[in-house]
Amino acid sequence: MPKSISFVGHWQKVTLILWAIALVCFLFSDTEIISLDPWSELQRMIQGLMTPDFFATEYLLEALWQTISFALLGVLGGLIWGAPLALLYSNRFIAAGCAVIRSIHEIFWALIFLQIFGLSPLTGILAIALPYGATFARVFFDILLQSPQSTVETLPARTDRVSRYFYGKISHVMVPILAYIRYRFECALRSSAVLGFIGMPTLGFYLETAFRQGHYHEGAALLILFIALIGSITFWCRPRLIIIYLVLALFTLPSMHSIDASLVWRFLSQDILPPALQGVTDLSQLDLSRINELINWGKSVFFEQAIPGMLVTLLLALSALAMSHLVSVTLSAFAFKRLTGKFFSVVIRLLLLILRSIPEYIFAFIFMLLLGPSMLPAMLALALHNGALIAFLTIKQSDNVVNSSVYNGRIDGYCYDVLPKIYPNLMGLLFYRFEVILRETAIFGMLGVATLGFYIDSGFSEIRYSTALLLMACTALLNILVDMISRQLLRQNTQTALACR
Amino acid sequence: MVKIDNLTLKYADKLAIRQLSLSIASGEKVAIIGPSGSGKSTLLSHLYSLLKERAAFCSQKQGLVDGLSTYHNVYMGALSRHHWTYNLINLIVPFSTPLAEVEALCHQLSLDVPMSKVLSKLSGGQRQRVALARALYQQQATFIGDEPFSALDPLMAEQLLTMVLAGHSTCIIALHDKSGALRHFDRILGLRNGELCLDVTQDALTPELIDNFYSPETLALVSNA
Repeated sequence: MPKSISFVGHWQKVTLILWAIALVCFLFSDTEIISLDPWSELQRMIQGLMTPDFFATEYLLEALWQTISFALLGVLGGLIWGAPLALLYSNRFIAAGCAVIRSIHEIFWALIFLQIFGLSPLTGILAIALPYGATFARVFFDILLQSPQSTVETLPARTDRVSRYFYGKISHVMVPILAYIRYRFECALRSSAVLGFIGMPTLGFYLETAFRQGHYHEGAALLILFIALIGSITFWCRPRLIIIYLVLALFTLPSMHSIDASLVWRFLSQDILPPALQGVTDLSQLDLSRINELINWGKSVFFEQAIPGMLVTLLLALSALAMSHLVSVTLSAFAFKRLTGKFFSVVIRLLLLILRSIPEYIFAFIFMLLLGPSMLPAMLALALHNGALIAFLTIKQSDNVVNSSVYNGRIDGYCYDVLPKIYPNLMGLLFYRFEVILRETAIFGMLGVATLGFYIDSGFSEIRYSTALLLMACTALLNILVDMISRQLLRQNTQTALACR
Repeated sequence: MVKIDNLTLKYADKLAIRQLSLSIASGEKVAIIGPSGSGKSTLLSHLYSLLKERAAFCSQKQGLVDGLSTYHNVYMGALSRHHWTYNLINLIVPFSTPLAEVEALCHQLSLDVPMSKVLSKLSGGQRQRVALARALYQQQATFIGDEPFSALDPLMAEQLLTMVLAGHSTCIIALHDKSGALRHFDRILGLRNGELCLDVTQDALTPELIDNFYSPETLALVSNA
């Protein structure tokens, strides 16, 4: 027995620990299936999927176009403020500020802007531009760090700084940066669609309506369109066309009703303050009783909402992480051509495209209709979406693996010859995705899972903005903390460069 | 032109150059030979750091940019001659004058690829000539090269070497081999374990001297001309 233990390698240990933790989390989670008759609902959904009705939705093209235009303008906005910040990102305060902005989900930003600008397109665009810009700043900074030093060293001695920077540094990283922007645009399309769930005029809005009312023919059509939209990005999103799209997007924005400055001011100066501080106009009014009230308010929010919310968030995220692991390992094996044959692997690749195109939120929404409100739908949604994404990135690597002469094209050959080569990278991607899973976990609160997002959403809908903001700060802190820990672990364990964040 | 006195240098925490003294006069054509790891590259980059203002350096690391075209990679040798706005515009739309110059230069180096070809699509020998072209395009009086012809066939290597020597008044070039190329130089330096073990002029150079330098037994025998 002790002899075989010495063969348990680093990655086997990591995997076992991950599974042990996830199992404990799963046991503590609420995963009960509460649905009277999931099968008939599923049957009706499949029926809808078989016979999608593309003409049921009024304004269908408009919804598609608004989804694209919010995504385009959001990414553009993010680039405008995020790209220059990448040059200053080594500054600790800028990095911290970006981390806070990034750690709050688009949908929460949208909820804040909704209070200020109402259902204006500005709300949707800013909700994408803000967190995306912060992400661009960090990723561009990381990419620039990887740019080789040797070119700068061989440049002529008196080259000016600007030329030195552009020829020696930027030119090296242009290809990965463009690829990253393209990937983020795909993410932005998903975010943009999801913003529809809080009322923006994008695909999500019509999707939610159709599914909630049980119009599955209509919902299926919208879903198919959305997948086709993401799957065909390379065909319609040509560099030369982007400028035209941008101009069109600017001109076809829904009308922006004028912003009421007094409302904005009221929101910033009164509404977002804790109840104890509302109505306080100068410091002399701050007496002991008010401060006591403030402390009690903070305590009750923290202990009754933030702590339970955080616990559920972590339980959900960790269980989903292990499930994503399972999905990604299985699907990346199925999609390996030299194992399952050409036809089957193509089918699996198509499935991967579908799974990674659909936002987790929409998945969870559908599963919740089927399985009833518990944490299970959210876990499944996270596992399917993220697992498929990791599998998609992994098969890019496994396709290039050169097999040894003893490779036999069977599952044992795969486990000996391919899996050990792709596994470290797969795990690296998986742990990187944990940050994303954690962020996404929060938004399942909007569907009733008692994560932090649930309390934030209730805070907004009950017009207790101060509570919502305090909880958002807690979310940000939790995300940053987890990010720091996982980066520390990753730095110790993998030297692989992580593509696609 | 350059004088080094009792120099000791480290490379990656290893002693690369030990107490080396050397002076090179303007107009000299100097070859540096020695086995791998003898400290040639370290010495050359040090020399370049001393001569930075008036020398072009063709480093072994090449410093090429895979995502840029052949033309842009060569053009980078001229960055210091132009204003940065000119350089930036040239990055997007190449100007015709430098384009013609670079094309002619590449032709001289038998590098007959389309100027717009992306560097990552070139072969090893072609890449090395792009790096060489970039150094030549700096149009300096001094050329410092770290095995700039190692990926080329001997015939072409010699042809390009004559070109480089003719184009620069002073040349300091590291060569990996003991081939006939050495006869083009005025002076030959031999490095071994970071020490200068050979320093002879062309007329004093004999095949035995070279053989002795490379054979392991003569490690201790230092011949100073």
